[in-house]
Amino acid sequence: MHALRHLALALFLAMCAVSASAEELISDLPRNETLIVENPEGTIKNAGWFNIWAINAGGQSTGLHQLAMDTLWYLDPQHGLDGVGMNSLAAEKPIYNADFTEMTVKLRSGIYWSDGVEFTADDLVFTTELHMKTNGLRWSAPFQINVASVSVPDRNTVIFKLKKPNSRFHSLFTVRWGAIWIMPKHVFEKVADPLKFDFNKPVSLGAYVLHSYDPNGKWFIWQLRDDWQRTTLGRYGKPGPKYVAYVDPGPPDKRVIAQLNHELDIIHDTSAEGMFTLAKQSKTSRGWFKGFPYAHPDPTLPAVIFNLQNDTFKDRRVRWALALLIDIKAVSMASYRGAATISAIAIPPTGTHTESYHAPMEAWLRDFELDTGKRTIKPYDPNIGRQIAEMLRPSMGEQIPTSADDIARAFGRGWWKPDPAAASELLQAAGFTRRGNDWMTPDGKPFAVRLVVEGDLRPVMTRAGSMIAQQWRQFGIDAKTEVAQGTLPDRRQAGDFDAMISWSVETYGGHPDLSYFLDSWHSQFVAPPGKMQTPRNWQRWASPELDKIIEQIRSTGFDDPKSVDLGREFVKLAVREMPIIPLMAYNVFTVMDQTYWTGYPTAEGDPYTDPVPNWGNSRAMMVRLKPAK
Amino acid sequence: MQAYAIYALKRLAQFVLVVFIGINLAYLISHATPIDPVEQTVSAATSFGNASPEAILMMRASLRELYGLEGGAVSQYAAFWRRVLVGDFGPSLSAFPTPVSTLIGRALPWTVGLLSVSTCLAFALGNLLGGLAGYFRESRILKLAGIAAMAVHPIPYYIVAFVLLIVFGYLWPVLPISGGYRINTPWGWNAEFVLSVVTHAILPVASLVLVGVGGWFMGMRSLVSNIVSEDYVVYAELAGVSRGRILGAYVMRNALAPQVTGLAMSLGSIFNGAIITEQVFGYPGIGTLLIQAVHAGDYSLVIGIASVSIVAVSVAVLIIDLLYPLLDPRVKVA
Repeated sequence: MHALRHLALALFLAMCAVSASAEELISDLPRNETLIVENPEGTIKNAGWFNIWAINAGGQSTGLHQLAMDTLWYLDPQHGLDGVGMNSLAAEKPIYNADFTEMTVKLRSGIYWSDGVEFTADDLVFTTELHMKTNGLRWSAPFQINVASVSVPDRNTVIFKLKKPNSRFHSLFTVRWGAIWIMPKHVFEKVADPLKFDFNKPVSLGAYVLHSYDPNGKWFIWQLRDDWQRTTLGRYGKPGPKYVAYVDPGPPDKRVIAQLNHELDIIHDTSAEGMFTLAKQSKTSRGWFKGFPYAHPDPTLPAVIFNLQNDTFKDRRVRWALALLIDIKAVSMASYRGAATISAIAIPPTGTHTESYHAPMEAWLRDFELDTGKRTIKPYDPNIGRQIAEMLRPSMGEQIPTSADDIARAFGRGWWKPDPAAASELLQAAGFTRRGNDWMTPDGKPFAVRLVVEGDLRPVMTRAGSMIAQQWRQFGIDAKTEVAQGTLPDRRQAGDFDAMISWSVETYGGHPDLSYFLDSWHSQFVAPPGKMQTPRNWQRWASPELDKIIEQIRSTGFDDPKSVDLGREFVKLAVREMPIIPLMAYNVFTVMDQTYWTGYPTAEGDPYTDPVPNWGNSRAMMVRLKPAK
Repeated sequence: MQAYAIYALKRLAQFVLVVFIGINLAYLISHATPIDPVEQTVSAATSFGNASPEAILMMRASLRELYGLEGGAVSQYAAFWRRVLVGDFGPSLSAFPTPVSTLIGRALPWTVGLLSVSTCLAFALGNLLGGLAGYFRESRILKLAGIAAMAVHPIPYYIVAFVLLIVFGYLWPVLPISGGYRINTPWGWNAEFVLSVVTHAILPVASLVLVGVGGWFMGMRSLVSNIVSEDYVVYAELAGVSRGRILGAYVMRNALAPQVTGLAMSLGSIFNGAIITEQVFGYPGIGTLLIQAVHAGDYSLVIGIASVSIVAVSVAVLIIDLLYPLLDPRVKVA
């Protein structure tokens, strides 16, 4: 019995000792000089691998591509440090010849690698030529498809001769999340096999160098270079954080706990519930929006994607009928607990797109008419964003904006009015019949829809899918969700779905050009049924009208205002045809703790970049962040 | 002796057969997964970048060649066994070209450390308390300990883990809730690193011990309860042997034999990993690695981890089988 008492006493004393010696999160680094950021890749199983040019061999958003890499241009999904487009290693914008078969790049001088070697045109040429002669590197294929030759007429000029016209060739070197990063020639030219070289310790072209990392892949720490002025970020001033730690904080609940304990300055993404907890309990935490919906709308558009090679969905009237059965307010509540930014058109409502597309097309949407077979209706309701705001106001109070502009920016503008009567007419016009409560296809079979969702891996989208399937079921359609979990990419590529919640629209956000996703929607890339589809036309939509728009965009310059007109033509075509049902922006609950750092990008304050920290563009944050204490 | 040799050879043959069947099952099941590692890699490589369809087609072809996925099922199966027989599971497909053995070697010590400590602690505490509770049946403290052990035992261990996480990570934030050691602590046999590893292991170990102790406790208590009424115990008490000596030398020692068998089995299972504990506490180890491998369709890594586990459990069973006849003559070997 004495032994038991001694054991209890020893345990108590041990807890007291632990309590007294509760350690700081990071050893030997001043907290007020260290920015701690969530790495959404989680634990990196091959932590000592920094060769980013080998496909998925190691981590990427460990700080490696945000802080140590660089390339020719950056295109910000928001407004940018001094404009949306940033010339990084390039001194000016790309220069194309008349038929887009040649691209000239003028390079910046005075930029150095972290080991003191100067960056030159040779690095760019080496990167290109190594990819051209090596199969299996991450960017081997785009180089081999596009580049005929590369030359250096003078020290700061590189000319790419292309195999075929490509007005968007520069986009390969333009960071929108990531891009082709430039290799250090002086390192890789000594490597026998670039596919098997770990690049540890990495030589950096960014403003930070690797300080230390966990061999088990839980954390990576980067340190500001002494010669940060000799990097492309140098012209914007000295970066605030001396150290940046990218950590794996674990599941959403633990991220919230870590930020409440001020041990995680930037949460990459958490659940809606986690965001609401932080908004309520932490005075120092804030999201992109100060109030609802807090989250940053990424330039990605979750949608109901139909498999258009499935006979049931080939008729646009069927797709429209299914769209008119969706109550987007309920979907917004189910998925994001109301914190969604809706979009009726196939463009994410974010960055400058709202100015280029959503606002100017509002009048067209209001006037848009749909023939149900029995009558003509105007399906667009411009007030749905406002209705969602009003629905939330009683419970969220001051968190909900009041002005029409703020509401439109936060919750989106309008969407399609739920209209079961019109949906019935459309289905009947398409040859469907109603038997009792159930709808039958033209060939007399029950109208069944398997709506594939990702499951636990993406709970917000899964909840949206469940709500939509429920709404279709209530109408008499045999709709079921199917959880794909990790098999979603395989099923999406194989076309193994009737409909799915995913996205085939991704844009630059800060630039109106749509080629980033739209070029891949050309019918030349649509796989036959049963064959693997390449990204991003998962719906396998083949349309001569669409092809014409894409071909016109291909022959139009990237910054040509005509490309916006062509983008609007695409939007109109997509509304008429409804190949996907656009739902909302992919809202990311990035939460920033202002205990140690201020100067984060925000919607109301200074929207200079996307705060989502796994974007390569997030390096812009480093020069605006200042110590809070 | 000859009978024992025949017995040992039979057991050895069984061991080889179990391992062979186990690894083949791991191979078949992992290859039956609908997740294609090439498509996972393509998806990861293109989900955030400019994805020209022509480039993707080319990337797919070169990845198949790079990963060695060309060729028929038979030639792949033959190549697999040729590699396995020399202890090589090939390169990981989701961390290509790093060998599977390197990844397992990096993660395994953490899992083995965590689970061996928690298994031994749960075993020692559970048996000690169970033995005492079975012998001192009137003690109120031990009755209370019994109720507590039985109350906690059926709770799923991830619930216990979450409770510990909230109590010691948020309400009274005195213990680290993530990782295997403090960030930026240099590795080595120095006090700072060792102390850091120990403090980071407290919550994961506690969650496993709290749940695990109940099973040992109840098993030992019922064994001791039976033994205390045996003639030799009654005789020792009548002969005036001290209670401490009776408990240690007469009761617990006899009750331990079946418990040690259980311990050996549990120690063999430590190579399976504690997936949920590792996930909840962000603890490095083989469980996290396995989950990542499954999600990525990395069957080389899945087979590697499964094989380590199959061999470890089989070896534990083999050792028990071989030792038992030596320890307990009642076990027939013929």
